Amino acid sequence: MKRRDFLRHSGAGLVALHAGRLGGWTGRSGAPWLLVPMDEVQTDHLKAYGVAFRSLKRGVRSEWFLNYRSGSFLLPGDDITARDAALAGVSVEPLDEDQVAQIRGEVQGGNMDAVPLEKPPKVAVYAPPNAPPWDDAVTMALNYAGIDFDKIWDSEVLGQKLRSYDWLHLHHEDFTGQYSKFFLNYAGAPWLVDMVERNRAMATSQGFTSVPAEKRAVAIAIAGFVERGGFLFAMCTATETLDLALAADGVDIAASYADGSPMDPRASSKMKWDLALAFHNAQLELSPTIPVYSDIDGHQVNSPDRRQPLGSFTLFNFSAKIDPVATMLVQNHRQVIPDFYGLTTSFTRKTLKPSVTVLAEEPGAPWVKYIHGEHGQGTWTFFGGHDPEDPQHQIGDLPTDLSLHPHSPGYRLILNNVLFPAAKKKELKT
Amino acid sequence: MTLLRVVSLSFLLLLPVSLAGQQRPAVTQALDLERRGDYAGAVEAYKSLLRVRPGDATALLGLERSLLPLNRSGEMVGVLQAALAAAPTNSAVYGIALRSWAAAGRLDSVRSLALRWSRISPNDETPYREWGAAELLRQNRAGARGAYELGRAQLRRPDALAAELAQLAVTEGNYAEALQEWLLATRRFPGYRGSAVATLGQAPEDVQPALLRALSKESDFLSRRLEAELRARWDDPDGAVRVLTAALPPDRIQSIAALQTLLEQLRLLRTRDGKLAQAHVLEALADRLPGAQGARLRLDAAQAYSAAEDKENARRMLGGLADDRTTPASISSGAAATLITVLIGEGKFAEAQKRLNDARAALPSDDYDDLRRSLAAGWMRAGELARADSAIAPDSSVEGLALAGRIRLFRGDIAGAISRFKEAGPYTKDREEATRRTALLALLQPLDRDSFPELGRALLLLEQGDTAQAAAGLEQVATGLGPQHGGAEFTLLAGRLLRQTGNPKDAERLFRAADAPEAPGTAPAAELALADLLVSSQRPGEAVAVLEHLILTYPQSALVPQARRQLDEARGAVPKT
Repeated sequence: MKRRDFLRHSGAGLVALHAGRLGGWTGRSGAPWLLVPMDEVQTDHLKAYGVAFRSLKRGVRSEWFLNYRSGSFLLPGDDITARDAALAGVSVEPLDEDQVAQIRGEVQGGNMDAVPLEKPPKVAVYAPPNAPPWDDAVTMALNYAGIDFDKIWDSEVLGQKLRSYDWLHLHHEDFTGQYSKFFLNYAGAPWLVDMVERNRAMATSQGFTSVPAEKRAVAIAIAGFVERGGFLFAMCTATETLDLALAADGVDIAASYADGSPMDPRASSKMKWDLALAFHNAQLELSPTIPVYSDIDGHQVNSPDRRQPLGSFTLFNFSAKIDPVATMLVQNHRQVIPDFYGLTTSFTRKTLKPSVTVLAEEPGAPWVKYIHGEHGQGTWTFFGGHDPEDPQHQIGDLPTDLSLHPHSPGYRLILNNVLFPAAKKKELKT
Repeated sequence: MTLLRVVSLSFLLLLPVSLAGQQRPAVTQALDLERRGDYAGAVEAYKSLLRVRPGDATALLGLERSLLPLNRSGEMVGVLQAALAAAPTNSAVYGIALRSWAAAGRLDSVRSLALRWSRISPNDETPYREWGAAELLRQNRAGARGAYELGRAQLRRPDALAAELAQLAVTEGNYAEALQEWLLATRRFPGYRGSAVATLGQAPEDVQPALLRALSKESDFLSRRLEAELRARWDDPDGAVRVLTAALPPDRIQSIAALQTLLEQLRLLRTRDGKLAQAHVLEALADRLPGAQGARLRLDAAQAYSAAEDKENARRMLGGLADDRTTPASISSGAAATLITVLIGEGKFAEAQKRLNDARAALPSDDYDDLRRSLAAGWMRAGELARADSAIAPDSSVEGLALAGRIRLFRGDIAGAISRFKEAGPYTKDREEATRRTALLALLQPLDRDSFPELGRALLLLEQGDTAQAAAGLEQVATGLGPQHGGAEFTLLAGRLLRQTGNPKDAERLFRAADAPEAPGTAPAAELALADLLVSSQRPGEAVAVLEHLILTYPQSALVPQARRQLDEARGAVPKT
């Protein structure tokens, strides 16, 4: 069936479902399957991931149609799923077996694939206990979509609790232990005082002499989680500092305010990049007053002399049947997405290891936005920037309200990462 | 001030001089090149001129401007050395040289040049001022302060360069020092007062009391003016008026100037206290100005008193004006209109009616109609519905018809009210009123009767602000109606009123009662109101159940997006609004 024919069919189905609900929701769609379209007709793209996630939690069979109508989901047409979608404001289209068979034929014939979703990943978000829920894009996306997660921090990571999770997100943490390098510029700010006290207390309680030493141990534990088969997703400064911490084996990369000794002026040449996940050959920023870590970040937002303006980034197209993982991670109804700043906004091409898969780039720019790779048995995905719907986020800004951005393509990329561990393992070529 | 701005300003100042010098074609040619944006050409032309007349200030300034966009300002140094040698007493040359030395980072040269200049003009502040400005261009505040303080010492005048030191102190956040310097500066040059108020006005809240204490120790009128204007800026309009009026000098002109300046500050305030302070200042001004000008200000004062809800003083101002035959007609009618508004606000409808009848001929017709409607609304709120009806009867405007509809409604004439609301239509100047009228029409249309005095009485109580009694009346009205014939809608309204009065228990009972399947237009609204009440009562679990029921039962309702939003909030999925 051609796409336009299917749209006509599914449109009729949508009307049918709609008419069946006039005068009240009947509780049944009357069809064995529900398609959650993820193209422009979808009324809430972000909550659609929640509907799919919850159907997995109930143990029912679902599928992710990669590249079919921008990455649609096929869910069973049971009462609970239909009710869940109606409550969430997620548009669904009832399908009978023939229509599903037609879609499968179409998927088979094009650069598409149907990936079975097996079990909901157990999700952990790494964040300090006092982090407000609206200060981290992933936490906001999970809350908005209605996806369960646990918050963990250093004691849980160092205490082996990571083993009980499939997917880990890193808050915009500074794994170099330098408090996002705000220590000098925001000296005395209550939030910074609190952050410093909390981190110092944690380092002491874990038996470390300094916060940088403790954070490096956390970074190593996280890398171990990936090596054992975990899925890691990091944004903003967690991406860059995780790798810097991993590579700083025996190298002092922290300013004296963090560990009592100044940064090694030859740190860049002493880094052991083979220990890092994504980056190599980066030059570290030596000044303790410039909130920049290295030349990994292309945009250098906190360095007025080096700051680059925001453009937009383009998602790559992958072969769904050959590269299903990369394809899953870029499912979207938009191919070009406006860029957004973070302490680490982007990743310079020159610092990427050759094994890294670039998922999105700014064409013509010396940086990329969204990268993925493998480490041991697991995978990691790094997404630059802080909040896709607040391009120039500042400390103290009002929180982003995702009900005002239900179609956010940037947030969709985050949620792709949450669902991708649910996919049934195949021979992955990426 | 940036170097570019300094240079641009110099350009503007010298332009007329240059244009006047038609006998100097070389300068004209250089200026033309510069205007056309051919800076390289202009540089060559100015340099040619300077080779002949090394001390020509016009050419030097032109060269300075032209080199800047080419990023070649460093070339000024050699040219200026020749200029200083050729014109060792020309102040303009020294000024340019100071800027150029500073831009080139030759700080020792800046200092020695400034001192050399000061020896040529020993009583002039300019060398030190320019020296300080050159230091500031390099963000060197300590250097600038050193220049100003040296100037003050050399000139042996404690108020020398006070404005410069005041501005420097402000940039350093030292408002106490800034105040002392501004006092010195304004005593010497009163024109600085505006700058003093503007910069000191930015002082942080925790510094303001100390500044006011310091000011209160000064005894001169200038300090009182400064204090008053700062108090007005710092949201103490009453204090501002008190300080200034107590210190006004006998000199009428000086007093008027001070009052007018304060009035300008007070006009920025929108608070009741701000309006009241404006009124006091306007009255003080009126007392000092004769004839029509004074009458006009008295009227303004009355209007300000009225806006500040000080009816007594408003009436005091207006009483004489409206009746005074010597008051100009335009002011007299304005005074009458304001006085009538005040009287209506005080509930003195009979007196307002009489004044309105008397002033009818003098009032513009639009003003008269507005006042007549205000009076009718006053009678209506007082429950004098017959008098209200007669006051509004001849008015066929949208506003008049809308008001007539409400009067009919309160008299229980449902058919008459609906008819007038429909005639008025959904549009009028006041959007809020139009929305209210449409809501009332929607409330009345399900009713299957033409007359309903009990409903009229209940709604009149609501208009009069007796919310609790109105709710009781509406609940009573609703019990006699089927849910689909207005019963559910009036129950919901009664519930909303009870919630407003702080009676959530009965409000919840009524919201649940209004949630009737027979009234599908009302039920979603009742459920939404119930959910909101449950959330605010810390019962989010019950609210979630109600909201889910709303979304699933009434998927076509316009309230579904709002319900989803509340559901997200109740579940913690989005930040609370």
